[in-house]
Amino acid sequence: MPILLAHLGEWLLTKDKQLDLLQGTLDMLILKAVSLGPFHGYGILLRIQQISKDRLEIQQGSLYPALYRLEHQGWITSEWGESENKRKAKYYRLTPAGVRRLDAETDNWNRMADVIAGILRTKPEEV
Amino acid sequence: MKPLNRLRSWLRAVMQRERNEREMDAELRFHIEACAHDLVQLGVSRDEALRRARIEFGGMERMKEECRESRGAAFVQRLTQDLILGARMLRKSPGFTAVAVLTLALGIGANTAIYSVVDAILLRPLPYPEATRLVRIWESHPSRGYSRNVVNPFNFLDWRDHAHAFQAMAALVRSTHNLNAQGQPIAVTGLRVSPEFFSVLESPPVKGRSFAADDAVPGHDRVAILSYELWQSQFAAAPDLLGHSIEVDGLPYVVVGVMPRGFSFPTTKAQIWTPLPLARTEEWKDGRYLSVIARLKTGVTLGQARQDMARVASIAAEVRPDFDQGWSAEVYPLLEDATQAIRQPLWVLLASVGFLLLIACANIANLLLMRSTGRIRELAVRSALGATRWRLVQQLFVESLLLSCAGMTAGLFLARFGLPALLALIPQSMPLPRSEPIHIDGRVLLFTFLASLCTAVLFGLTPALHLSRVDLQNALKEGSLRGGVGGHQALRRGFVVAQVALALLLSVGAGLMLRSFARLIAVDPGFQPEHLLTMRIFTSPSRYADDLKRSAYFKQLLTELRNIPGVRAASSTQFLPLTEMTSGSCFALVGGPTLTPAEAPSSQFLIVGTNYFRAMNIPLLKGRDFEERDSFSSEPVAIVNHAFAHRYFAGQDALGKQLRVCWTTEKPVEIIGVAADSRQADLQAAPEPTIFLSNFQAPMYFATFVLRAEGDPRQIAHSAEEAIHRVDPDQAISDVQSMRTVVNDSVASPRFQTVLLAAFASLAILLAVVGVYGIVSYSVSQRTNEIGIRVALGARSRDIARMVLREALTLAGIALAVGLGASLAMSRVLESLLFEVQPTDSPTLAAVACLILAACACAAVLPARRASRVDPMVALRYE
Repeated sequence: MPILLAHLGEWLLTKDKQLDLLQGTLDMLILKAVSLGPFHGYGILLRIQQISKDRLEIQQGSLYPALYRLEHQGWITSEWGESENKRKAKYYRLTPAGVRRLDAETDNWNRMADVIAGILRTKPEEV
Repeated sequence: MKPLNRLRSWLRAVMQRERNEREMDAELRFHIEACAHDLVQLGVSRDEALRRARIEFGGMERMKEECRESRGAAFVQRLTQDLILGARMLRKSPGFTAVAVLTLALGIGANTAIYSVVDAILLRPLPYPEATRLVRIWESHPSRGYSRNVVNPFNFLDWRDHAHAFQAMAALVRSTHNLNAQGQPIAVTGLRVSPEFFSVLESPPVKGRSFAADDAVPGHDRVAILSYELWQSQFAAAPDLLGHSIEVDGLPYVVVGVMPRGFSFPTTKAQIWTPLPLARTEEWKDGRYLSVIARLKTGVTLGQARQDMARVASIAAEVRPDFDQGWSAEVYPLLEDATQAIRQPLWVLLASVGFLLLIACANIANLLLMRSTGRIRELAVRSALGATRWRLVQQLFVESLLLSCAGMTAGLFLARFGLPALLALIPQSMPLPRSEPIHIDGRVLLFTFLASLCTAVLFGLTPALHLSRVDLQNALKEGSLRGGVGGHQALRRGFVVAQVALALLLSVGAGLMLRSFARLIAVDPGFQPEHLLTMRIFTSPSRYADDLKRSAYFKQLLTELRNIPGVRAASSTQFLPLTEMTSGSCFALVGGPTLTPAEAPSSQFLIVGTNYFRAMNIPLLKGRDFEERDSFSSEPVAIVNHAFAHRYFAGQDALGKQLRVCWTTEKPVEIIGVAADSRQADLQAAPEPTIFLSNFQAPMYFATFVLRAEGDPRQIAHSAEEAIHRVDPDQAISDVQSMRTVVNDSVASPRFQTVLLAAFASLAILLAVVGVYGIVSYSVSQRTNEIGIRVALGARSRDIARMVLREALTLAGIALAVGLGASLAMSRVLESLLFEVQPTDSPTLAAVACLILAACACAAVLPARRASRVDPMVALRYE
């Protein structure tokens, strides 16, 4: 918890160094975060910040619509539970379909990243 | 699995809306509080932490909206929301809503009613299996301009045997029979049909059998098939009637079948069918009087059938050139043929109510546009709160949908109660191709629904799209609202011009029809219809088989009828005038060249009783009327009309000239009189050259008696029927009516069209006046400030009124130009419906244009007066 807090502090102070999230990748990040264990919305946000070492900017406004969308598509499921400080909170978990989806997306992303990195590495004499 | 999952999620989202909303609230609140909690841990004060958490979180409402949307339930929820909102908006302005719903109800109701008639008569297939393959075949004589002539029996037999395009072909003749099943002779309509008739229609009897080839063999043809209704009413639905004989025209006929309930032939509602024993014998050689129907082979097109028939008809013309030279054959779809006379008028009426609905749409679109100016602020606020343009359009459109649904409901009510009145207006003579009554059913409801949807799109979408394009951010700023939304003005004017132009178009149509109808009923029929009673009889062929007997029978009947007190004159005619019935015959002048029937001139030809011209009050220009002395055994005589004498004996005396009439080939007839012209088939057609023969000398099987009464002709009806029954108690009598009724019925169809078109045009003008009033008064209220300045600068109230009127009349002027242009362009549509009036008739066009201009001026007078009374002080302070 203290680590998370420190992250939050840092994050709130150092926002200008962050990258904008690539279109369409938020869903993937949420799936990844949720695959690490059940989290509530706020927890997912913090987890992504933490893993990315605050280098990613996530619009809070887009988090919940994305969660609802993923749930609607059946990749995550939710249930009400109790938070660390004894408050009722909604926890999200990956469904089996979500696990498959995350694998597929990860594969896809890696291949895409390779291809694009390859292109970007190309030197003039290679063309 | 996944679509199912999504459906479940969607259903949950839709059904458990309340719970979902609560949970979403709780979840988002938890997020903010957790965030604030963490910030407090970092040493921020609680209030400040909450504030920062909220700022970081962003627009709550917008996010919620997006969340709802990602669940897929947003559309339904938004729709419900918009519906509730729309209903609230409509309730808040009851005046607007009432006007709009009433306008729509009139438009939709009129469309529903007319469409239900059009659908039942023109669109629905005839009630037989695969009815689209049914055709009617006529003989035609292109060079004489006959396109639908009844058929010669020999030709029919040739067609039936040699044409390849048809699965089956049948001939039929209308007949009337005397039936005496319950002690009272009644006249029943019958069809004598060749045996293939029922298989052409593919409609077998519900009981018993249809006709077989044997039934058409002379001597074996005393069999009959009854309609279900006749079986019920005259034979008490006796189950054992099949195989037993009934007495028809005094002869025994064996009942072999009963047709299903409601079965009928489109043009003749027959109650009894008997075989028509056609054969290539002398008896059937001459004359043209058969109706022919056929069923196309599967896959054969109408075009192929026409080619085939042209080929077969040309063979007939080669084989019998004397009779068939110049004749050919035409094929038409049966439904089209049966409804041919009313097709055009009905489409014109449907188009008229369509125009009416368009005018209503333009009116409501304008009302919506005017109202929406007052709503710009509301829309701007919603837009600022995050509503997209599409979302605003949707909301406005849902309001229009609500309006049109209300209009549809009210319109259906109007149609439901208006339809009987409309049906009562439909003339009896209109050929309804089906026997079942016209009512509002599923097909009509579907049409009404689609029409309402279209109207909603027409009147709702334009204002909605237009409004959403307005710069709403600017609209929020103070002051820019008053100036109005510039673009609207042009759009509104466009709508008003369109509706005035449409109203003009309809009024021109109605004006032309009125003028045409006035001309029609002003036509002098050439006889005196007042005080005239008419009644029809059909003699039993068995009882009065030979001509002499029939001649004596008619003589006796006329004597009895003339003896009735109150009868001034009595006679008979083969076909009553103005009942669309007539006959023709070829003839030759004695002493002229010998001609074949195909070459000889042909003229209208009627067989009438003694003193016919006196009874009808048709003046005899020369010679005398038919008299008792022109008996069956004396020299045959004829009377011709003025048109005949003028055409064939111009400059000579027709009296004493001799004619050979093909109808009676034995002896030439001598002309003993020339009668003034009178109308026969209908009021429209100019009198044709006509030969009259005496019913005593060439007696027909049927006749219509005409009795000239001293007073009300209906009062002698009973004694006339008694007089006929004194001569033959089994003689059925039908169509007892006064000649006035016959004359009125003969113009029923044009009257129907005229009354409806005039009603629609009046409604259209009313709606257009409302539209003009609306736009002018709105424009005055928008320009109050400007008018105030003008008055302050010295404009007199007269100038102001003139300015307002000029605006209205400019719009009306443009609309007149557009509308007159459209009327001229569409003039051909009305041409065939008009009698002695050109569709470009300038007095009508001018009168209608003046009427519309005056109506627009009236509509603008009130706003103009209001404008001229603007107090500059008040007006300027207003801003």
